[in-house]
Amino acid sequence: MSSPRTIRFTLNGEPVSATIMPHETLVDVLQHRFDLRGARESCGQGLCGCCTVHVDGKPVSGCLFLAVFADGARVDTVEGLARGDALDPVQEAFIEAGAFQCGFCTPGFVMMVKQLLKEHPEPTDEEVRHYLTGNLCRCSAYPEILDAVKLASARQAEAARRA
Amino acid sequence: MTGFEIVEPESLEEAFRLLDPEDPAVRPIGGGTALMLMMKAQIYKPERLVSLRRLDGRFSGIDIAADGSGFRIGAMTTFSMLEHSPAIRRHLPVIAQTMKTLANVRVRNVASVGGNLAHADPHLDLPPVWVALGARAVVVGPRGERTIPVEAIFEGYYETSLANDELIAELEVPVRAGWDALYVKVTTRAAHDWPALGLAVSAELEGRRIRDLRLVLSAAVDKPTRLAAAEAVLRGAEIGPATLRAAGEAAVAETEIESDSRGSAAYKQHLLRVHLGRAIEALAAKRV
Amino acid sequence: MARTASRNIGQSIPRLEAREKVTGRAEYVHHLRLPGMLYGKIFRSTVPHARIKSVDVSAAQALEGVYRVVTIDDIREAIPHPYYGPAFHDQPILADGKVRFAGEPVAVVLAADPHIAQEAVGLISAEYEELPAVFDEVEAMSSDVLVHDVLKPAATFPDLKHLAGRTGTNVALDYHLLRGDPEAGFAAADHVFEHTYRSQQVMHIPMEPFVSVADAADGRLTLHTASQSPSFVRIEIARLLGWPENRVRVKVPYLGGGFGGKLYIKLEALVTALSLVARRPVKVALTMEEQFFMVTRHPCTFTIKSGVNKDGTIVARTCKVVWNGGAYADIGPRVTQKAGFTSAGPYDIENVEIHSYAVYTNRPPCGALRGFGAPQTAWAYECHMDEIAEALGMDKVAFRRKNLLQNGRPQATGTIVQDAALEQALDQVADRLNWNEPLDRGDGRIRRGRGIAVGFKGITAPTTSVAIVNLYADGSCGLYISTVEMGQGSDTVMAQIAAEVLDMDAAAIKVVHPDTDVTPYDMGTLGSRSTFHMGTAVRLAAEDARKKIAELARELGLPEGSNLPLPELFRRKYGMQAGNIIGTASFIPKYEKPDAETGHSRNATPFWGVGASGAEVEVDTETGHYRITKLVNVADVGTALNPKLVQVQLSGAGIMQLGFTTTEEMVYRDGQLTNGSLADYKIPTLLDIPPEFINEHVDSEQKDGPFGGKGAGESTTIALSPAIGNALFDAVGVRLTDLPLTPEKIFRALCEANGTPLAGE
Repeated sequence: MSSPRTIRFTLNGEPVSATIMPHETLVDVLQHRFDLRGARESCGQGLCGCCTVHVDGKPVSGCLFLAVFADGARVDTVEGLARGDALDPVQEAFIEAGAFQCGFCTPGFVMMVKQLLKEHPEPTDEEVRHYLTGNLCRCSAYPEILDAVKLASARQAEAARRA
Repeated sequence: MTGFEIVEPESLEEAFRLLDPEDPAVRPIGGGTALMLMMKAQIYKPERLVSLRRLDGRFSGIDIAADGSGFRIGAMTTFSMLEHSPAIRRHLPVIAQTMKTLANVRVRNVASVGGNLAHADPHLDLPPVWVALGARAVVVGPRGERTIPVEAIFEGYYETSLANDELIAELEVPVRAGWDALYVKVTTRAAHDWPALGLAVSAELEGRRIRDLRLVLSAAVDKPTRLAAAEAVLRGAEIGPATLRAAGEAAVAETEIESDSRGSAAYKQHLLRVHLGRAIEALAAKRV
Repeated sequence: MARTASRNIGQSIPRLEAREKVTGRAEYVHHLRLPGMLYGKIFRSTVPHARIKSVDVSAAQALEGVYRVVTIDDIREAIPHPYYGPAFHDQPILADGKVRFAGEPVAVVLAADPHIAQEAVGLISAEYEELPAVFDEVEAMSSDVLVHDVLKPAATFPDLKHLAGRTGTNVALDYHLLRGDPEAGFAAADHVFEHTYRSQQVMHIPMEPFVSVADAADGRLTLHTASQSPSFVRIEIARLLGWPENRVRVKVPYLGGGFGGKLYIKLEALVTALSLVARRPVKVALTMEEQFFMVTRHPCTFTIKSGVNKDGTIVARTCKVVWNGGAYADIGPRVTQKAGFTSAGPYDIENVEIHSYAVYTNRPPCGALRGFGAPQTAWAYECHMDEIAEALGMDKVAFRRKNLLQNGRPQATGTIVQDAALEQALDQVADRLNWNEPLDRGDGRIRRGRGIAVGFKGITAPTTSVAIVNLYADGSCGLYISTVEMGQGSDTVMAQIAAEVLDMDAAAIKVVHPDTDVTPYDMGTLGSRSTFHMGTAVRLAAEDARKKIAELARELGLPEGSNLPLPELFRRKYGMQAGNIIGTASFIPKYEKPDAETGHSRNATPFWGVGASGAEVEVDTETGHYRITKLVNVADVGTALNPKLVQVQLSGAGIMQLGFTTTEEMVYRDGQLTNGSLADYKIPTLLDIPPEFINEHVDSEQKDGPFGGKGAGESTTIALSPAIGNALFDAVGVRLTDLPLTPEKIFRALCEANGTPLAGE
């Protein structure tokens, strides 16, 4: 009954395929088949956001997302953000604001903030708090994360003005 | 979480063939967030999951009736689609208000309207809101189709009236002129938590007089529950401290609230009294 | 403080590992996979206290894909005496005839696919003969229910050497202190106050759950482990195996959070045994739910009694502190002693008596957690201080100031207090709260209040750190230390210290991560000790390297002060780009073990951690719900070597303690944990951060610390809970004695105070 199946999807812009079992989650497949470590399982219940990846442009919890459902989708991970040595503005803002300590939750936060700034280019504190409330940072660099979001938003606005 | 197959039928007929009325190890899967939690905890061990994601037509889409009298919402509509639908935001603002504190962005991007109802966890935020709005579910199965009030789906803790091979295909949600609604999520442990009690209210007010209303309690009880006695106290009444107190007492008397990790029964009953009154006052304040 | 500008010290240099962390490339054991590796999944006990009658693993063993199922009998083949622990060798690698808490590991399934291993765990069954169990620490003090038949002390740490094997008791260790004559003090005092306060059981919740990988082959073992104490792991594993240390290699990359949980020895003994049994590399990675069964923070019941004169002088104080250690001692005995000796608070009191007890119960084990007992004791003594001030009608800040320990005065142990900015921290919090201005107290159902608290902690001693500074032939530098980078910023700060001595840029220094084959001994990354201990060792090692550079220059016949670049020195010495200069140093601060009877010591701690907190709250008196509208934490960190990193440590520790104060609690029914997941055990999110949230350090200096610095990771955990408890009292006039401070508790206390019991009860 349970048998492997080949799925094809776009991973950080590249077409890929993988032969997987039905029970494998997206985060299993990214870690074990593609050696991508940025999305990682922590709470296992979709509450902490450490496993955040984008599927068809929307953040999802990779630990609750069966990989078969990524068949035909566009999957983007934190590894796809930087262009060569140039980090994404959100990543740069996290570094400048000192918005992390142990770093385990950081890729998940970065991926959420990417989407947050797409939906709310200049978010209020209230919007940021609600948008990111499903991401847990036990080191609790939360004040710095708020700073990082504002910094990234300001940079983005400035870049838009100049463009 | 091993040893199961996933099938993705593209037609309803195929879906019905793959579902099994007798075998609980065969289940439909929508967004799958709740089901995945049960599978990971080994509470549920499926043999076959029948994915509904390739079923289109009536299972997807948000449509508003030409006369604006109501919505048809496909069961595979995700919460974030609802949240961001301009028509829903305009005509049913309570939905967007509820979404703000419902799970998190990632869950809302995946969880589906139908799966959420079929899961029948009494702590979920949206079901009491649907009930308060008077929504009806269109249920399809190999033996035909039926339309039932959303409250008729729930029979108890994780229990529904749906047969194993029945699917929720869509919701019909009326938009009633002059009615307003809100959802109160009361948490007792942390700001971001499952509710200790969820209270959905929709009402038609005339100044401070309540012409009609629907009051629904969730989380503190084993399924979203209409507070009929409290409604009776309030229906036709002028909003005032005595009336609200009486309604709160009626609500406590007509429900069986149990103690759990979110609070003792007595405390949750007290919260129900307080928040029922505040919710009605808040609705009245919105109308002013 | 006037100090010459430095390009390293006092600069907010970004974390050296920042890019790795934001790109997701940082290395954690979580990701590690080795060729041929098996995954171990744990079958756990479902009862809190029982003799094991039988364990049936046959169905699990028969499942396709299962490599082997392992019980204690299999482990004994590899390790004849499979008991471990830092203070007591009391914890079996897997349950050995008996289980002592619900959730204890009983068997392990090994399989190449972790999902199959997990599936097989569900096929194991065990039969138990249940025994009566004891869960409460006070009850366990005198209970007939014994968690352990015989106590088995270890002798690893010199400060715990007086532990002696005993029978017929659950008391694992007791610490006593006597100063002056408390009875006479009470008799002479104008007022005597006595109160009891309780702290609950909470868990670290590192986002990277516990994980270890062992690879044993050919009489050698490599452990890759998410550990805060690789050197200790090596020593303890070598002891278990009867091997020399050099056959055990322990490697630690970055840690996804530790907070004291990943200390001493956790999964390492288990994975070692499994790898030896299976002859394959084995990984055990706990789920979030399983973490609650690994290690937790001690629940604590603290009865405190003070004799006070009319003018507010505290003349006598007795403290009885009972620590619930759970089923295995872990480092609990040390918590009992270290937090015990400061349990009378940072006050100058003539007559003090302290009795501190570590007690076994049938709960998951308790060990170190950020603050090492200080938050539990401060919860009691700082609520008690407010209750006394309230009764005397004194200002809460003035009452504290009147009794506060000043530098140069002896603390209860007799140790003279130095470089402890207690008064400064208290005053700074009072200032940020506008303490002398009136507060809008609200009316109707919303009431406001504010509270303040101050506390201190001793630092674990005696402990050793060793550092190696390696200068390569091109003049670049590697720093070899076993301090674990778990987010606190140690890589960066240690590089700053070395760079300061070597006149380099911190960012140019490569910090080599713990690998016991390569990096030298360090007692552990714990208890705010790294900046002071390892920082000093690094400074000394760098100075040693400089000395050796000077020696090399002399050897090459160069005149003093010729300042030839280092690569040129190497070229002259070896004729090409070759060679190393290796500077090394060890550091162990002065320490005197407390007297077994009086608890006195002239050197009880290498330095003092100091924290003060203040809070403003807004309470909905109809429901008990409250908002913390303003939260202030002020710590004494000595010189802030890297202000930005200090800032995030202070605020992070504060938010963690905020969770322990307001929402977090492990809840049990009949000894079974009922909320062991993040769905039901709520840790702070962005929504819980107070709108006004201030974290600062005072302007101070730890004179014997490296460049004036000392630890910063725990100070803001100390006084935060009582500041909030005191603010709630100030707002609504009810005193909560038990953490966490939930709306229901407040509402019930209000009902009681108003004489209107909750309807329906």
